[in-house]
Amino acid sequence: MKRFAPLVLVLLLLSLGAGPARATIDDALSFALEAADPYVKEGFTVREDYWGGDLPVKTTKAIVHQLFKGNEYWFWMGTDQKAAKISVHIYDSAGNLAEAESWQKPHFAAARVVPKKTGSYYLIVEVEKSPDERTYWSLAYGFK
Amino acid sequence: MKKALALALVALPLSVIAAEPPAHIDVSKLPSPTKMIDDVVVPVPSEIFGVLDKIGRPNWVSVQRPINAVVQPTGESPQIALMLGSVIAEGFIAVEAEDANQVKQIGKSVLSLATPLGVGAEVKKRAQAITDAADKKDWPSVRKELDGTLDDVKKVMVKLNSESLSQLVSLGGWIRGTEALTAVVGKGYTKDGAELLHQPVLLDYFERRLSTLKPKYKANPLVTRVQKGILEVRPLMGLTEDAEISEKSVGEINRITSDLIKSINSKAP
Repeated sequence: MKRFAPLVLVLLLLSLGAGPARATIDDALSFALEAADPYVKEGFTVREDYWGGDLPVKTTKAIVHQLFKGNEYWFWMGTDQKAAKISVHIYDSAGNLAEAESWQKPHFAAARVVPKKTGSYYLIVEVEKSPDERTYWSLAYGFK
Repeated sequence: MKKALALALVALPLSVIAAEPPAHIDVSKLPSPTKMIDDVVVPVPSEIFGVLDKIGRPNWVSVQRPINAVVQPTGESPQIALMLGSVIAEGFIAVEAEDANQVKQIGKSVLSLATPLGVGAEVKKRAQAITDAADKKDWPSVRKELDGTLDDVKKVMVKLNSESLSQLVSLGGWIRGTEALTAVVGKGYTKDGAELLHQPVLLDYFERRLSTLKPKYKANPLVTRVQKGILEVRPLMGLTEDAEISEKSVGEINRITSDLIKSINSKAP
């Protein structure tokens, strides 16, 4: 048994290290999907796939995403940190703000876009304020 | 008092400005690549098919590739992964055609192909849910389960260190979805319909992923053929943002993707 003790310890440490990160992104996703819920009743189909990670305060991340003219999209961002202020904004390939509306609430942010063209769009996510050094976030989207 | 009012007036616009996103950003100076997310979410076919439904009344039955028996895995794992993706895409087409029998056949085929890839156990529940929803002709649920299947496959394959195969699943789905899209657009060409083919993000992503595949997958003749096909399709889908995609290009993309689908489903690709 003693022979396996270091291996068990390593596995335990690995599981402890990997667990919370995954859990917090999943928690953030739960909030993103909670934000999406009212829109499902409006006919939006929410994708199962999503983006996620963790960010320091005042840092942005850019996601390039394909959108299709003729659809309407909502992007919902969530975080498990209630005191955090997060945002998501959408720009077209020329860098012009493309969203029709956006909002921010504790745990959530969202933006809606009705693409004028089919092509690449930039989703800019940011943690504007947070008591944490790094804040977990997740971004889901839906279309109709 | 005047000073306080002046301060308040100065502070108010500032707070409003702080909450407003900039009207323009320089996309050439976006955060460095380490701050860019490379994880592209590939649209599901129904995201594109829905637009075609709004533009006109496509005859989805005519673009189906009927599956008469449960699809059996053929070849090595890259081919099975491409087959799985194309079968899932076929499921989305069958939903558009409201063909419950095909959807049920596709549910069984998904399980048949997922098993040799090591994701059968995770997909089993989804495959059953696809069949159950098809029985009830609950099309939104079928779409949700097909999307969920793609997501489950991706997650499990990442865990199994088989991310490359999960990308081939996505690619197989994209190729079949594009074949169907070009078939529909080609039958009643409109600029709006053809514009749906302008997908630079996805083509760049697939090119990048194919070029960084494990050597053992890259050496697979079918993967080489798919890589060549993607390179051929790239200029036809509009290299610039405002490029119009001609009727001739739509036809050419349809020919390339049809040939690829035939190879993917062939016993001797």
